[in-house]
Amino acid sequence: MAQVPSWTVIPVLIRYWIKGRFTKAALISILIGEIFFVLFILFASEAFLSFSGRFRIGTELTVITWSLILSFYLIGLIQSGFNGSGLPVSGGDVDYVFTSPVKSRDVFIAKVLMNSLTIVLFAFPPMFALYLRISRFYETSVVIAAVAGLVTLVYFLMGLFLSADVTLSLGKIGRRASLLKSVFIVFVVFVTLVPFLSILNGTPETVTSLIRFLPNGLAAATSIGLVSGSASGEILFFDFILLLLWLGGLLILGIRLSNTHFYELVQIRQPRIGKKIVATSSRSELNPIGRSVWSVVGTKERIIIKRTKELRALLMNVLFLSGFMIIYSLSGSFQSSPISFLFILFILGSFGSGNGMRWIEKERLWILKTTTISMKRYVKEIFRARVFPLLLSLAPIIIVIGVFFVATEPIDTSSQMSLILIFPAALQIPALMMGGSMYFAAKFGQSTTDDILETQTQELVDIKRFIYQAIINLALIAPIMLLVTGSEMVALFFGAGSTIPLFLMLILSLLYTYIILNIILDKAGNTIAMREDL
Amino acid sequence: MAEIFVEGLSKSYGDVVALDDVSFRCASGEVFGLLGPNGAGKSTLLKIVVGLLKPTNGIVRLGGHDIVRSPEAAKQIVGYLPENPSLYTGLTVQEFLQFVGKIRGVDDTSLTNKIDESLRSFSLVEKMNSLIGSLSKGMKQKVALIASTIHDPSVLVLDEPLTALDPRTQRLVRDWIGSQAGKGVTILLSTHLMEVAQSYCTRLAIIDKGRIVASGGIDTLRKKAAAGSEANLDEIFLRLTEKSGDA
Repeated sequence: MAQVPSWTVIPVLIRYWIKGRFTKAALISILIGEIFFVLFILFASEAFLSFSGRFRIGTELTVITWSLILSFYLIGLIQSGFNGSGLPVSGGDVDYVFTSPVKSRDVFIAKVLMNSLTIVLFAFPPMFALYLRISRFYETSVVIAAVAGLVTLVYFLMGLFLSADVTLSLGKIGRRASLLKSVFIVFVVFVTLVPFLSILNGTPETVTSLIRFLPNGLAAATSIGLVSGSASGEILFFDFILLLLWLGGLLILGIRLSNTHFYELVQIRQPRIGKKIVATSSRSELNPIGRSVWSVVGTKERIIIKRTKELRALLMNVLFLSGFMIIYSLSGSFQSSPISFLFILFILGSFGSGNGMRWIEKERLWILKTTTISMKRYVKEIFRARVFPLLLSLAPIIIVIGVFFVATEPIDTSSQMSLILIFPAALQIPALMMGGSMYFAAKFGQSTTDDILETQTQELVDIKRFIYQAIINLALIAPIMLLVTGSEMVALFFGAGSTIPLFLMLILSLLYTYIILNIILDKAGNTIAMREDL
Repeated sequence: MAEIFVEGLSKSYGDVVALDDVSFRCASGEVFGLLGPNGAGKSTLLKIVVGLLKPTNGIVRLGGHDIVRSPEAAKQIVGYLPENPSLYTGLTVQEFLQFVGKIRGVDDTSLTNKIDESLRSFSLVEKMNSLIGSLSKGMKQKVALIASTIHDPSVLVLDEPLTALDPRTQRLVRDWIGSQAGKGVTILLSTHLMEVAQSYCTRLAIIDKGRIVASGGIDTLRKKAAAGSEANLDEIFLRLTEKSGDA
């Protein structure tokens, strides 16, 4: 039998993958995710523009900042490439595609095209929103913003190709992969940071001009140059051609690499909530002797968080929240609208509420439910074990921002007085959202190993849960936002004598948080105890 | 020691009847086996007995304690091994057993001794500081078995304890079931393995489509199946479940 030609097999593979990936549920998820992401991008770009306006940041520094942000994306992809997941495949691919006589090169091309389609669908709307906001600031056209978005997409696609290439090159570098991974990532970080040297006086121009040849620098320079109208057309054209050369080069390299080692190197995609366990020490960290059962429950949860890399996810969340809080504070947007700060915390919290979702492990609840321990109390202990690291990490950042404000702003402004409520609220909101997400995990959570997870029905349940969760979480934090808004009015009305009313409002806000958390965690405990499928 | 008393037990999920008027009694120190095809309702029955599911109708008593009305008292005396026990893969063997012992209310000194003793008898001492996620299926099953008896229960409920185990681990688990029975622990177990049922169970119940189609000792079952005196449990089982299917 003759081998199926590439021009026939590649569209067949893509069609098969599209059917599997873009289900009705997946499309609704994408739509919801996109709306949240676009909202976040608009808020973040607003904050950055206020920040750059306040500190008179020119386009050069904006390019450098954008270049740095884009490089994080690249570092993440390089890392996943070295971990062998630069070209993720499913069990179905392994069983049916890899065992067929289809050329590995054709599978690679189809995979890359499929992933490119996904990235274009996912990334274009938020990028367009970002450049549209910046183009409004610089008074350039909508078309220019769309072109800038497309330039950034080229960079994103290049990142995908690079990640796939790294995975495919693992066969050649073998055991040295781990060392090379570290060296490569350090190199990328170093090269990424080079543009910052341009801020310093006396740095040779040859060093700083490196930015023009690196993909992240090229993408940032071209897109920001376009929307700001600060670069000449010839330079932009030259930069864009260079970026396309990177893209083409990495694609050709990938096609060449895919002819060898392909099937041994690509890995099956892990379950969505799959947990990778990290190594442990050689003694028990539980130390149960002489301790209460609830103290042991809390320690157990902390150990699991630590060993399943959830802690890293938590720290990433904190880093994200902190970075945002700092930029937002420095931008001076607090003074104009402190409530938007809390609203952004809500959006960020919605993305980060996965930390709260992870606590439920349906298939392990038999261990607890066949004992006499109270599920209500158990849920509360788990909440404590999960929320304290988050709050302890956020608190120092909030204190630093608070001190910065007290030191730099006039003492009698109403917005400064309302800080008495804003900063505790910045801790209350993540705590409430974690409690809310724990409740929703208890209500709708499914097993991490359940077959039903892979079905569309489960995806639709997940979407329903996400929407409910977002709405209920918003309702949960709304009273705190109202109190913050009210605090501004109280500060304006009472002036210097507003300290006592504001402290009373703070107590009210803390009391509210305490009561609501108790109610939702009790409900979560009851739900778990009552659910028969857990 | 304690007996298991089940009477008029039913469980429905909407229109689907998972268990229909199931009754049996398992005397103190007895090993009572549940046999049945896939989907017959064995696991549902065992989950109701340990308090994981609520019955639609009927009574379950463990050592005289009603699992619905006095779940705390009943759960204190029962140990449970699910069909596919999922353990905390992020804990080490020792940590997991310490955790289970603690939530089961075992005092500190007994817990330490019990863990040491159990790890020795299951040849798991070398693995005590290994993460459960790194263990083989057989080893995980051993850990789950230790966990099910960490509080010295007087009633043991075992759901397919030998499924997918290699012959060596199967032998170990069979011996362990025998030793528990020898201690006078009341055991209710479901199994597909006729050999196990025939060797260890003093009485058996054959369950099909949520109903007990026959119960008693092997001779009683032979009579009910109208099988000859040489008929083994396989034949009896097939005859009884076919009859039930015809009905």
